[in-house]
Amino acid sequence: MTRNFRFAAAAAALLIGAIASGSAFAQKYGGILKMYHRDSPASASIHEEATFSTNVPFMGVFNNLVMYKQDVAQNSIDSIVPDLATSWSWNAEHTKLTFKLREGVKWHDGKPFTSKDVKCTFDLLQGKSQDKFRKNPRKAWYDNVSDVTPNGDFEVSFNLKRPQPALIALLASGYTPIYPCHVSAAEMRTHPIGTGPFKFVEFKTNESIKLTRNKDYWKKGRPYLDGIEYTIIPNRSTAMLAFVAGKFDVSFPTNLSVALVKEVKKQAPQAVCKIEPTNVNTNLIVNRDAPPFNNPDIRKAMALAIDRKAFVDILFEGHAGIGGAMLPPPEGKWGLTPEILKTIPGYGPDVKANREEARKLMQKAGYGPDKRLKVKISTRNIPVYRDPAVILIDQLKDIYIDGELDVVETANWFSKVARKDYAVGLNLTGNAVDDPDQAFYENYACNSERNYTHYCNKDLEKLFDQQSMEPDHAKRQKIVWEIDKQLQEDVARPIIYHAREGSCWQPYVKGMVVMVNSTYNGFRYEDVWLDK
Amino acid sequence: MAGYLARRSLLMLLTLFGISVIIFTLLRIVPGNVVDILFDAAGFVDPADKAKLEADLGLDKSIPMQYAAWIGGLAHGDLGYSYVSEKPALKEILPRIPITARLAGMALVFSILLGVPLGVISAVKQNTWLDYALRLVSLSGLSLPAFWLGLLILMAFVASTDTIPIYSAAPKSFWDALLMYSVPAAAVGFRSSALVMRLTRSSMLEVLRQDYIRTARSKGASENSINYRHALRNAMLPVVTVIGIEAAFLIGGLIVTETVFNIPGVARFLVEAIRWRDYPIVQNLVMFVAVIVVAVNFLVDMLYAVLDPRIRYGD
Amino acid sequence: MATSVKTSEYAAELSRAGADVGGRWSAALFLARRYPLGAIGAAIMLVFVFAAVFAEFLTVHDPLSTNSALSLAHPDAHYWMGADNFGRDVYSRIVYGARISLAVGIGSTALGCLFGVALGLLSGYLSGWVDLLIQRIIDILQALPLLVLALVMAAALGPSLQNVIIAIAIPLIPYVARVIRANTLALRELPFVEAARATGMSDMRIALRHVLPNTLAPLIVLATAQLGSAILVEASLSFLGLGIPEPYPSWGRMLSESAAEYVRTAPWLVIFPGIAISLLVFGTNLLGDALRDILDPRQRT
Repeated sequence: MTRNFRFAAAAAALLIGAIASGSAFAQKYGGILKMYHRDSPASASIHEEATFSTNVPFMGVFNNLVMYKQDVAQNSIDSIVPDLATSWSWNAEHTKLTFKLREGVKWHDGKPFTSKDVKCTFDLLQGKSQDKFRKNPRKAWYDNVSDVTPNGDFEVSFNLKRPQPALIALLASGYTPIYPCHVSAAEMRTHPIGTGPFKFVEFKTNESIKLTRNKDYWKKGRPYLDGIEYTIIPNRSTAMLAFVAGKFDVSFPTNLSVALVKEVKKQAPQAVCKIEPTNVNTNLIVNRDAPPFNNPDIRKAMALAIDRKAFVDILFEGHAGIGGAMLPPPEGKWGLTPEILKTIPGYGPDVKANREEARKLMQKAGYGPDKRLKVKISTRNIPVYRDPAVILIDQLKDIYIDGELDVVETANWFSKVARKDYAVGLNLTGNAVDDPDQAFYENYACNSERNYTHYCNKDLEKLFDQQSMEPDHAKRQKIVWEIDKQLQEDVARPIIYHAREGSCWQPYVKGMVVMVNSTYNGFRYEDVWLDK
Repeated sequence: MAGYLARRSLLMLLTLFGISVIIFTLLRIVPGNVVDILFDAAGFVDPADKAKLEADLGLDKSIPMQYAAWIGGLAHGDLGYSYVSEKPALKEILPRIPITARLAGMALVFSILLGVPLGVISAVKQNTWLDYALRLVSLSGLSLPAFWLGLLILMAFVASTDTIPIYSAAPKSFWDALLMYSVPAAAVGFRSSALVMRLTRSSMLEVLRQDYIRTARSKGASENSINYRHALRNAMLPVVTVIGIEAAFLIGGLIVTETVFNIPGVARFLVEAIRWRDYPIVQNLVMFVAVIVVAVNFLVDMLYAVLDPRIRYGD
Repeated sequence: MATSVKTSEYAAELSRAGADVGGRWSAALFLARRYPLGAIGAAIMLVFVFAAVFAEFLTVHDPLSTNSALSLAHPDAHYWMGADNFGRDVYSRIVYGARISLAVGIGSTALGCLFGVALGLLSGYLSGWVDLLIQRIIDILQALPLLVLALVMAAALGPSLQNVIIAIAIPLIPYVARVIRANTLALRELPFVEAARATGMSDMRIALRHVLPNTLAPLIVLATAQLGSAILVEASLSFLGLGIPEPYPSWGRMLSESAAEYVRTAPWLVIFPGIAISLLVFGTNLLGDALRDILDPRQRT
């Protein structure tokens, strides 16, 4: 009797589990996912690039130690799940992070994965190995790592110089795949070998990228797709027309503006579209060392004059976020709340009053309706940069500033900025991970390469370290808010808006999840399947 | 004739040499190189890494030295390596050439098939409403931007059918493949056909006035045979000329059409390479284009000599 | 005088044709009636020039100001040609765009002609090694297709109005230089030039006062033809993203940014800029054809 009951209970539990896990039995295997790509990635090596042009096609080739759960839209430390590591643990002081690694994993060329590969990857990143990356944009992420030591073939430890509980957030990013020891960095740029659900087939520059199913993937039953094909179509009109004509299953993720999503829905009403924040914000880089913005009053006046809501209405039809350095809630986990924002100069809803105050500051600096300030607004020659610059010029007219658009070719942008050959520039900053450890250090630390304006506040940097070492979320949150508020009040890098972009796909594409606080972490595609 | 050929060859070589120097220097004296762009994609510039990469790519040497390296490599058939993809430039360029060649060839065929008959009709029916209509059509062919025509065609296809004639490496059916090649070819060839039509018309008119036609007529040849045999043969001369001039315009049309129809040919590749400042690709491609234009002009001149007995070179 | 030779010839021909040649106006009207297509071309061009010059008076809305509420508005009484995705008035952008197209077209043609004439005159008149050198330069410039050279120059010089004008002017120089050189070579042998030389006039004066005016006819024909090409090349460059940057409204760029993406809801975004380009170039071609018939009958098409 009891045995039957136990059987029945087990069967019932199984059934309930199956139903609860949703369509666990409904996924179909097979099919090739067709996506268009908006431009040709500079290389196939994720570690050497910093745009999602490389992440989207190649994240499926790799695994990380840990990763953000791909079907949970909001990335956070709570959504980090095992990948190549089966479990991890901190020591008491949060200065040593030890990972137990999965056994039996093979690289795409058949060689076995061991802890040595983890060490090789991070030695490359820290510049400690013989082999070198051509570019190493995230070297600074691991400044706090003193070394990575394997302990046997299936255990590895990260030893840190000071506590950094959030290191794991950086390791979970799509930007932190594990590379094999036995393949050179140069080879990884053209023919990457990973352990991931998809094997690299070919990358024809400017033409297409092809991936195929990894039959020996360690996660049994995945991936569902037979392969993924990316066709590179730089001309947006052509790409859109092709998607509407049904040539592609998915649009390039977060490539469609809000207006375009409306258009797609009109032309292909059956398409599924999602508009989410990308954690890319548009901001102003201000040259604090040269006139006119070496004058703090003029800097503050400019910050006060920005009507953020107008930008959001014009460029995003109202769908964009307004916040500080961190992505605003609810999608962002660390952003300043509207209550705090209201108290920061320039963020208050009364634009007229703000501009009145700005005009007073300008007058104090000697400018007025008869003596206007001529300033060059520099930006890159791409629509997503140019369009907000045009609006900014329009707005600055109100406070006696006559802006002139200075369009700079891509090739010259960074040298120009590095030379500080600009007064104010309109810039886009993408945050790979929704974590203050990434955002603050990269953009506001005194000797960070990406701190274009060379804003340097040593006291505030002490706070950077303090929040980085704080394991308790609520306490850390308070410090982060304090830092963010200070950055905005100092006019370090006025944040105009946090963009939102759309992704669309045909209705038979299932398992697609668009991340809401990052645009670099959600492209493993091992759970995607085609219902046809 | 041999003397002429020798002199002509020397001149062509000089021209090509001049082009190579100009394009090489132009690319390098302007601010911003591929390393800047590669680092831009990475979002920062680390001076040490940048210097190392520039040294790796040979960009830190003086311009004459870099030029010597390139020309030296050309002598062995080594065109250098693409800065971006790190593959040999030859391997990147070579597979794309047949695609563009096919498109260009079909466009030329289209322009002759459409332009010559219409030009003849227009000349024979001179000053009638048909002539005026055809002349207006040909003028519009010269006025329409090629990329606009391409966009309109794409839009028309998407609005009315389920297909879109953009390039696909594996076309699904014969009909798809046919559309994929012929539609862009028509878009590119429309302008050339207009020019061919105008020139055919003018040379037909010219020839129709000639004395020897009158003579043929007086001998009793039928009206039709006069039109379509004597005149046409002599009217081909300027048409051959136009192929020479059009080689230059055609390439411009190919560039925008390949962009609109997403054809992975050599012309679109050139635009992308310029954007990336991928010098090895740009300089080799530009030289390739120059060689073609120079060769086509030479062939046209030779064809002239064959077609028109009055022209003979060399003495 | 050499210059009056041509005009008196024309007067003679016109009066032979039965025109009452009482002054320039009636001569112009007579020509217009004789070459109606050319007159239409001239009229079209005048309309665009008028639009370019008086843009402020012909438009109600600012071409640059955005208005999200009116994004993709249909053509109606308010926005005569509809609005783009930023809510900018397409009609205003077309009218102001005429300014850019004409500025670039006329600017680059003028610049190209200036240098082309200089090179052609020098080359044809002076001969010798100067001629050989300049001919090589012409060959080199002409061996590269117009768009390719303009592309490289635009990428090299960077995006700005002046740079685009220069970039398009340079490929035009060889065409002009060739024609001027051929003409100069022919004119150089004429008696009146010999006579001028015999009186001790300097070469430069002879070139400028006697030779140049007689090359004007083919030059005008060539310039009008090249004007159309220049406008098309500017449109192509802007379409490829290497042309006129913001904030100037350029017809070519209007067609590249998001135009075909909104084809179902807003086809006017693709139609109107394209018509503008085609119409203007059509006008120059009509005018060019007529001018060629009038001034240089040998090249009649």
